[in-house]
Amino acid sequence: MERDSFLRFKRPLVAGTKPREAKSGGLLAAFHDMPIVVKIALFWLLFIVTAAIYARIDRIFGQALPLQDPFHQPFLFGEASPVEGPSSAHILGTDVLSRDTFSRLLHGAWVSLAVAVTVVVFGIVFGGFIGAFVGYVRGRSEAVVMSSLDVVLAFPPLILLLALVSIYKVRSLTLIALVFGVLSIPTYVRIARASTLALASREFVQAAEAIGTKRRSILFREIIPNIMPALFAYALISAGFVIVIEGTLSYLGLSVQIPEPTWGNMINEGRRDIRQTIMPIFWPGLFLTLTVVSLNMLGDWVQQRVAVRSSAL
Amino acid sequence: MGKILTVRLARLVATLFAVSLLTFLLVEQLPGDPVTALLPPEALHDLATIERIRAELQLDDPAIVRYGRWVGDALQGDLGKSYITDQRVADAIRDRIPVTMELALLATVIAAVLAVPIGAFSAYREGGRFDRILSGFTTAALSIPAFVAAIFFIWLFTLKFNWLPSTGWNRITDKGVIANLKTAILPASALALAPLAINARLIRADMIGTLKEDYVLSARAKGLRDRYILMRHALRPSALTAITVFGLQLGSLIGGTVVIETIFALPGLGTRLISGIYQRDVMMIQGIVLFIATVYVVVNTIVDLLYLALDPRIRRQ
Repeated sequence: MERDSFLRFKRPLVAGTKPREAKSGGLLAAFHDMPIVVKIALFWLLFIVTAAIYARIDRIFGQALPLQDPFHQPFLFGEASPVEGPSSAHILGTDVLSRDTFSRLLHGAWVSLAVAVTVVVFGIVFGGFIGAFVGYVRGRSEAVVMSSLDVVLAFPPLILLLALVSIYKVRSLTLIALVFGVLSIPTYVRIARASTLALASREFVQAAEAIGTKRRSILFREIIPNIMPALFAYALISAGFVIVIEGTLSYLGLSVQIPEPTWGNMINEGRRDIRQTIMPIFWPGLFLTLTVVSLNMLGDWVQQRVAVRSSAL
Repeated sequence: MGKILTVRLARLVATLFAVSLLTFLLVEQLPGDPVTALLPPEALHDLATIERIRAELQLDDPAIVRYGRWVGDALQGDLGKSYITDQRVADAIRDRIPVTMELALLATVIAAVLAVPIGAFSAYREGGRFDRILSGFTTAALSIPAFVAAIFFIWLFTLKFNWLPSTGWNRITDKGVIANLKTAILPASALALAPLAINARLIRADMIGTLKEDYVLSARAKGLRDRYILMRHALRPSALTAITVFGLQLGSLIGGTVVIETIFALPGLGTRLISGIYQRDVMMIQGIVLFIATVYVVVNTIVDLLYLALDPRIRRQ
């Protein structure tokens, strides 16, 4: 018996009956199709997103919601001590400056979320459109765009980022997210173009051209909707990748500055007391790893489904 | 074949020029005047001195001229002198290359050597318990950021067990290979995690396909032992993709060593770049970024050409 978990179609119980197409049920059916680990990954991501938004709203309203203040150092008021273990007041303990770890993790989640979302949106919207346009229209614009992309892609990503980030002294979240967003467009363009090239020679596109549909219309109605699955699969993986790079950058102190919490700079600050306890490093490291693992697993799973569908056509 | 080669080489040269231009333009944007960074505060109101230094360093020339001069010098191996430490950039790079190179190489070797048995065995026992455990492990290894893994290794092997040092670097020329490996193994392992996972997955996927081939069946029918079949016959077709991937990883690892070097305080290119960024050492940043990007581009081109040479199917396109 084939233990091929990549097969999307269930075996027919009776010979001759149609295999059940899982995707025809929509999102809910897709959810039921997920292996349990992918479900867990999805739940973790939902938790992180909710937590990040909650922390952000808390921040906007001046710490009004039930969540510890990530900047408050109770040690200065004789209340808690640095690097404390879990307690009723501090669910995951305190960090090196006696600030609540859990609340800082949630606020840090917002930074990672903001960067990841910016990258995905920029990538799919700008990268997808440019890639589809260049892949469909071809000609000189394709040559120009692809060669300029080659230059950007010629740099190892971290190096280019370091160079860019070192230019601006002001390290606001908006700026960092924008830089990440812009730098991730090239790979999305490549993927969109590759998918478009594969699609452009297909019958339905040729048919549309034959009946005289405007190219603009074909681009938006035939091509772009069909490259979305591939772009989305990559988006999940690139979100994970970008979160790691942002973590690396903030570990080096080159992203959003302290005292703003980010997972990366929490790890950096935690190094001070590493001989006593690894907990201040453990929690942000765990959150980082779990988030990236979840994004990768989800991205892998989406990629499998997309691959089956496009090869079945 | 010759035509493809020339085209590819021409593209390489063009890309390198574009890379150098982009590097120069980026570093141009750095705020702050190099002269004010150079001089002690007392000298800053002596306009005559400032003018003299600017003329000496030829800072007032138009950007194009400065760029042309920089590239011209770079082609002869002169990447200028740091404004902050007065060290020749090319010398600094030359001092630090061996460390970074060895780190990248060691990481690639670890990733390659471990990935083969893991991938092969997972493919052999596809779907079994070993395969599933290893798949989970590779996903985790892929996802854990290198610097988190590095700090965890330090905590585990230096602070808890005290087996290995956490900082510093013993050069082979100074203290021999064993001492060198003691300082190199932790950073290289942290760097190797992600490539290891990727390679293992690739080899596994490739071999699952290969193991279904007829010639494997006939080898088994002949009575050859499974392990022999795995190592000799099944691995061969994957060798091509594997080599390409290893080569690409080596190239990208050279840039990726930056954080790991910082964590372990290794005297490599990465730490010099980071300290240059902190100090706004313009010439150093320019030189190191250009160097790393050049190596990256050249390695990728070599891998591309190698792939072209090894796989005749690609050539016909």
